[in-house]
This record gives sequence, C-alpha cells and structure tokens, in this order.
Amino acid sequence: MTYVRSLVSAIALTGSVALATSPAHAGGIDAGTLIENTATATYDVNGTPGSVDSNTITIRVDELLDVTVTSLDGGAVPADSGSAVLTFSITNTGNGPEAFQLTADPSVAGNDFDATVTGIAIDTNGNGIYDEGVDTILGAGDNSGELAPDASLTVFVLVTTPGGVSDGDNSQVNLTADAVTGTGAPGTAFAGAGVDGGDAIVGLTGASNDALGSLIAGVVTVNLVKSADIADPFGGNQPVPGAIITYRIVATVTGTGSIDDLTITDAYPTGTTYRPTTLTLDGGTLTDADDADAGKADATGIEVLLGTTTGGVSHTITFDVVID
Amino acid sequence: MKLKTFHRAATAFGTACLLLATAPAVTAQDQIVLDSDVKVHKTTVDANGVEKTEMVKPEVVVPGDRLTFATLYHNTGAEPATNFVVTNPLHKAVSLASDADPALIVSVDGGKTWGRLANLTVTGEGGTSRAAGHLDVTHIRWTLPVVEPGARGRLEYPAIIR
Repeated sequence: MTYVRSLVSAIALTGSVALATSPAHAGGIDAGTLIENTATATYDVNGTPGSVDSNTITIRVDELLDVTVTSLDGGAVPADSGSAVLTFSITNTGNGPEAFQLTADPSVAGNDFDATVTGIAIDTNGNGIYDEGVDTILGAGDNSGELAPDASLTVFVLVTTPGGVSDGDNSQVNLTADAVTGTGAPGTAFAGAGVDGGDAIVGLTGASNDALGSLIAGVVTVNLVKSADIADPFGGNQPVPGAIITYRIVATVTGTGSIDDLTITDAYPTGTTYRPTTLTLDGGTLTDADDADAGKADATGIEVLLGTTTGGVSHTITFDVVID
Repeated sequence: MKLKTFHRAATAFGTACLLLATAPAVTAQDQIVLDSDVKVHKTTVDANGVEKTEMVKPEVVVPGDRLTFATLYHNTGAEPATNFVVTNPLHKAVSLASDADPALIVSVDGGKTWGRLANLTVTGEGGTSRAAGHLDVTHIRWTLPVVEPGARGRLEYPAIIR
C-alpha cells in the first residue's frame, strides 16, 4: 500500500500549495508571501514502488515600493473667488502596505502666477469632493496614512491665488507622493524595512511620483461709463435752470466667472432734482419706491441692484434730473 | 544536462499498480535523494554600461524577478530506479517563465491531466475553452525511464514572481 499512500500525500501537498497563496495585484504578489517549492519523485526499484520528497525551499517575497499620482480634475480649475481645490488620486502600486509623504509645490516653470498652498486634505468621507470641516487636513509632517497594495486615496490640494493676477492667467501645482519607507533609483534596497522584516525595494517609479493640477484665474472687472444728455426748455442743450439732464450709466462686466451683489449707486449733482419715475434698467422702467424691483430713487440718489453678474454682460441704467 | 521526457507516464503508473500486489516488501524509500534549490537572476550594469546577469541566492526577491527552481536527484542505491517521475507543483505566487522549454510536460488543472503546454486548454468562466498559457501552469513533471545506481542529475524550470 506504500504507493497508494504516497500518491494520496502528493495530492494533499498539491492542495495545500494551492491554498497557501496571496492575491496578486498590479504591483505583484503581496510582500511577505512565502514561496515554497517541494518536488516529489516516484519510481520503482526491482518492481517495488518508492517515493521521496525533496527538501522544501522557502523564499519570501520582499516589498516593492511603487506609487502613482494622477490629477482627477477634468481641466483647469477656475480660481475666480481667490481660492480653489485641486483633486488628485494616489495609488499604492507596490505590493505591500505603505504610507506616502505628500508635498504640493505651487512653483512650476511656466506658471503665469504661483498659487499659495494652504493645505492638503484627505477625502475622509470618500465622496470625491472637498468638504470643509469633514475631510481631514494633514498637519505638518503628516503622511497619507497606510495604503494597502492597489488601494487609492483621493487627496485635495487647497490653494489661494495672490493679488494682482490677471483674468485667464494659468498656473499649475505639482503634487508629489514619496513612499515613507524611502525613495531612490529603482532597485534601491532598504534592509529590513519591508513587510514582516523583509527588505523593501524601490520599484520602477522610484517610489515617488507626481502629477500636475491646473488652475485658471478668473478675475472679474466692472467697468462703469457715465454720460449725460441735456435738453433745455428752449429746444437746445444748454445747462440752464429747467433743463433736463438724462444720465446714462453703462455697467460692463468683463472677465472669467461672475461677480456677486453688484449694486450701482449714483448721487444727484448739487443743484439738481430727480425727475420722478424716470429710472430705467435696460430700457424697462423701475419704480422709485424701495420695493420688489431692482431699483429705487430717493431724494439724494438712485440705487440699482444688479446682483450676480457674469463676465460679458452689460447693463444700462438711465434717470433724469432737472437743473434747479 | 539534457533531459528526456516521456509521454507514457500513465502506462508506467498502471504497471506500478499491477506490480504492487506481487512485489516483495523491499524498501525502496532510501534509494533516491532529492534536493531542491532556487536561484534568482540579478542583472547588474557595470561602469561600462554592460549588463551582466548572475544567478544568486534569493535573499531579496520582488514581483517580476526571475527564479530558477531546480531539483537535483541522486540514486544512492545499488539498484536502478525505473519509471522515475519527478513532480513539482508551482506555487501560485510564481508562473512558468514564457521562455521555458516548450517540451516540458505540465499540468494546468492541478495535476489531473498532463501534456505539453501547447496541447493543453483551460475552461474559463462560462464554459468557453481557450489555449493554456504559461500563467495557467500548476505543475511540472519530468519522467525518466531509468536512473542508474550512482547516477545524478538536475531538473529545472524558470519561473517569474507574479
């Protein structure tokens, strides 16, 4: 029965090998996996079957340090309110759990302006959108936290734009992720720094990767042009008592983005009196009262609330005064 | 060394089973010594930019590394060993290297069926069949008709860490 028994044990061995595995990832088989190899021989000697196993050799898979960084923004992020959030993804493409040091550099060659990085945040609630007060902002020296092999993390770089930036100016911010264990030329080894005390080896990415996020400054400008037409009581245009002055204010908004709460006010010149019910906006009459419509006129001046106004839009306001 | 492979292993097993009933209880267990060995290929570039590959002890291995697994056999007895079959399961963390000898007899189904890789198929999900590839190999087997007393040899296969 020797032969039968050895055959059974060979099958059992096969089963145990098949079970003793770790999942393979993009970064390869998990660090710390033990690869065992045992060969079995069966044979006959003078018709008597025999079988023998070899010694089992075991090698441990060391940790490969690799990372990729990509920008998740579809294009340049508008920074029209003076701040912006750039979104990146960090993926551990190595084969062991690893944390990454994150560095955002706003000084990129070719920038029209350099933004100021005010923080790097982790997408704590995993919704892909920066939620102030919810997503954790990394403190000085903090790293990404440990990422499992193949795991990705969404990271936000929070920036502000400096003053003096022109509309449409472009800027880039470079986010770098460095393996905390170490970086270097591919093949660089960190003895004992890997999983289960194995070595950690720098992979093809150098255990460091970076990606650029783009910003475009949206600077909105309001341009006001005021003109006056005079109609005197005698059919001329002399500024004499009783003459009517029609003031025209053209408010033109230029630039990328929009401006909020745009309000145009104008005081009547000394020696003139407002001519009731002459206030208009874009050709439509506004009541003088402070009511639901956008405008009002009182004893000293007019006020028209244009509200949120996007670049490229212009409005025309007119009103009449009479020279006293 | 040059290896010869056999395709009548099943016949050999059948013969062994028939002989089992009548063979005298002579111990054959100590007749053969098997010794397993593994080396990793490390490529270095010297100062002149010339690449050199060495086979070294696998002290540091990472996914993608190339290993050579070897089994050294030695017939230490006084009698020839016949129907000599060495079976080597592959750990799932490694795959047979794509430049392995196409004449190797392998299994892609856990050792149930055997053949040259080019002649084997695997059944995927949904029951569709496709040609087997190097990643599918689960076992390698060498068959030698006889190992004479005192004879020794080396059986090896190249593997890549997945």
